[in-house]
Amino acid sequence: MPIGGFIVNTQPEFVTDVAGQLNLIDDVEVHGFDDSGNIIAVIDSVTSEDMESKIATIEKIDPVLTVGVAYLHAEDEIEKIESGELVIDNPFGRKKKN
Amino acid sequence: MSVSRRDFIKRSAALTAASYVGMNLPIGDVNVAEAVDVDNWVRGTCRLCGVGCRLEMGVKGGRPVALRGVPESRTNYGYLCMKGMLFYKIMQHPERLKKPLYREKKDQPFREISWDTALDLAAKGFAESVKKYGHDSVAYYGSGQCLTEETYLFQKVMRGGLQTNNVEGNPRLCMASAVGGYLTSFGADEPIGGYANVERSYCMFIIGSNMAEAHPVFYRRVMRRKLDNPDKVKIINADPRISPTSRIADMHMQFRPGTDMALMNAMAYVIIDENLYDEKFLREYSTFRVGKDKKEVDMAAYKASLDEYTPEKAARVCGGNITAEDIRTAARWFATSQGTLSMWCMGINQRKQGVWANNLIHNLHILTGQLCKPGADSLSLTGQPNACGGVREGGGLCHILPGHRLVKKEKLRNQVEDAWGVPRGRIPPKPGYHTMAMFQAVNDKKIRAIWINCSSPAQSLPNVTPYREGMKSDDVFMVCTDIFPTKTTECANLILPTAFHFEKTGVYGCTERRSQITPKAVDAPGDAMPEVWIVREWALKLAKELNDPVIAQCVAPFVGKEPDFELPEAIWDEYTQKLTKHRDNDLRGATYDVLKSMADGVQWPAPTKEFALTGGTVMKFVRGSDPMADSEAKDDKPYQFYGPAHADKKLWIWLRPYVGADEEPDAEYPLYLSTGRIIDHWHTTSMTGRVPELLRANPYSFVEINPKDAKKMGVRPGDMVEIESRRGKVEMPAKVVEGPMEGMVFAYWHDMHEDRMINKVCNDAYDPGSKEPEFKICSCRVRRLSGPRALTPYITQLNG
Repeated sequence: MPIGGFIVNTQPEFVTDVAGQLNLIDDVEVHGFDDSGNIIAVIDSVTSEDMESKIATIEKIDPVLTVGVAYLHAEDEIEKIESGELVIDNPFGRKKKN
Repeated sequence: MSVSRRDFIKRSAALTAASYVGMNLPIGDVNVAEAVDVDNWVRGTCRLCGVGCRLEMGVKGGRPVALRGVPESRTNYGYLCMKGMLFYKIMQHPERLKKPLYREKKDQPFREISWDTALDLAAKGFAESVKKYGHDSVAYYGSGQCLTEETYLFQKVMRGGLQTNNVEGNPRLCMASAVGGYLTSFGADEPIGGYANVERSYCMFIIGSNMAEAHPVFYRRVMRRKLDNPDKVKIINADPRISPTSRIADMHMQFRPGTDMALMNAMAYVIIDENLYDEKFLREYSTFRVGKDKKEVDMAAYKASLDEYTPEKAARVCGGNITAEDIRTAARWFATSQGTLSMWCMGINQRKQGVWANNLIHNLHILTGQLCKPGADSLSLTGQPNACGGVREGGGLCHILPGHRLVKKEKLRNQVEDAWGVPRGRIPPKPGYHTMAMFQAVNDKKIRAIWINCSSPAQSLPNVTPYREGMKSDDVFMVCTDIFPTKTTECANLILPTAFHFEKTGVYGCTERRSQITPKAVDAPGDAMPEVWIVREWALKLAKELNDPVIAQCVAPFVGKEPDFELPEAIWDEYTQKLTKHRDNDLRGATYDVLKSMADGVQWPAPTKEFALTGGTVMKFVRGSDPMADSEAKDDKPYQFYGPAHADKKLWIWLRPYVGADEEPDAEYPLYLSTGRIIDHWHTTSMTGRVPELLRANPYSFVEINPKDAKKMGVRPGDMVEIESRRGKVEMPAKVVEGPMEGMVFAYWHDMHEDRMINKVCNDAYDPGSKEPEFKICSCRVRRLSGPRALTPYITQLNG
């Protein structure tokens, strides 16, 4: 269950609108924004794949220019990988040979 | 009120992000450093592009559990991109190579062997080739992702030990034209300034670069500068394709592929025609040159050479959306701003006229005096984390020795031989094979043993199909050092598993002459080892096989050093203290201790520790910033262009006529094809393709087609299309988008699948000076195959 801290940069005139849109996305929390178009957002997702998907959604919002990552905590996910509870998915649909 | 652990971490994440932009959040003052229960934070550099972002890995119980940016770092000020953030999944991946693997014949499956056996086999393979076919029958092909210590030691053993200059690396495919441009225009490789100019610039000229996707963290600085100064800062984006980078541009100049030389000559025409040049700067610091013999001419000759490039004529040549008035406006913005910064990447470098295109960017800066002052620079962006530090500076190409020395100069060879304590004459005077010639020599069986380190030429070479023949042949003994199976390990006899980033110690040198250390933080999986250990042990066995004590002498200073910290430090010390002394990349002050103490490393030249501890040289050639501008001064002027390539110590403006692409569209192949990178993936996807989050974002390549062309072809979004050139054909889904200009298609090059590997289609013609191939332009035809089709992502597997 990774947690990430992000700076979403938007065109300044749209920062309020975009912050509102981010708040509507599940697992995304907006902690603040400023007149320069910076939005501080935290994503608390079930998997890092889920986090990547949320970021892709944010990047598609028209006035969003960049999404920068400041902090990522993934200990819980790594523990699950190590315990076998979570298997790093083989996205190729084939069995690993060695 | 009690705060749960997850809430605590979330607050920490928010506060960390807010601290980067100076925002105060009303959520209390959580101590970020204590937020995560880690044993220690280890500071290093991201390895997934050339920007050199600094980050810290949180380690707990010997494994990585958290990552954060380094806000004090002048490269990224704490920001990172998602590609960099997910690289811990590469470290943890179950497909990591963990044991040495061998097969005698290339149609056999690999079997696990011991390190001792593996190094014996590697030594015997190379020794037999030398005995039977001579010194130049062996070769090393490295990477801009290798640590400097690795590149340096490999090339030392190859040149000083095996007596061949067959030392190359994949930066030949991305950076060589920038090297040629800097050397011929400024007399010295690598940029004069660096990233710090962004915040001081008033005009940014971005050409041949989609930095929003290829260098997203650096792009953020450019974006921030524009958004904070919307009326004062002008951004010109010149590119045949509209990309995410174009979104912040005041002007997008969309030119026909390969016509940028006409565009830049036309900008120079306007600058001269409207008296926008800096007469004093020109008089004091520059000359005009023409031709292979570098003949000096006067400004009148230069001006006459531009007569063909009136804005009206150039606009016609460039096509696209460019008007004569656009060219005039761009030239005026460029010349008259308080500081103009140009930035480019593969769109300029991966060209048959790559060096000349680089020269024409530099020409604009020299003409207008937009150099050596705040906000002004001609900055080539690099794609890989250590193309500059390791390969360009450490001697990783066939014609250069460590410390920016040319192989062909005896005096410089002797300096290196003396430093190494090997007999003079040991390094051959003739440069080795450049990359394309090297793999042709493999095909021709002139090279019989080749070591490929951290690169995958069986996928990354242009017109790749014929070059694979030699690699696949049982007549060529091939060793690969890597962390994952690749298309190239499929051609190997011997695969040696290596430690990954943060699993070993070493230095990367990024775009802006900045060297930064990444120390080992966690153990490598299985039996994977650092390359420096592998090379040392191999060289010792090689010395016995060839009964040649000089080979052993090449690694003698490093025998007995433990491989994780002592060994790379000893190699770095030898390289910096002996080989960069009094060279323009003087790194003597940048010892491991100094590098470890810095948030963001050291920019060379940095001849002393005291100076290195200030961060080094922000602006090269400028007195007061660069200590060598004083120590190498020839007069009392404020700028001293002391680079090794120009005896007159001046900047050279080149008369370079517009020359188009090697292959232009015709009736048979009517479209331009260009290729490039997508934000989620890195090069051949051997790493990022194994991170499901990144792969699923872009599971396969696609080709962008302009809506007007798509309509003519009857292609709808998602349709499968065939892209065919004179060299090969592939098929992939179409994305119909106002990206590439009409008459041009753009394909992403990361896909490993044989049916979608666009490098089978690309042109392998190369620049006569830099030998860098023209990946960026060839002619092709496109036809619709079918409607949308379900595709399977593909990454090669061992014995797969």
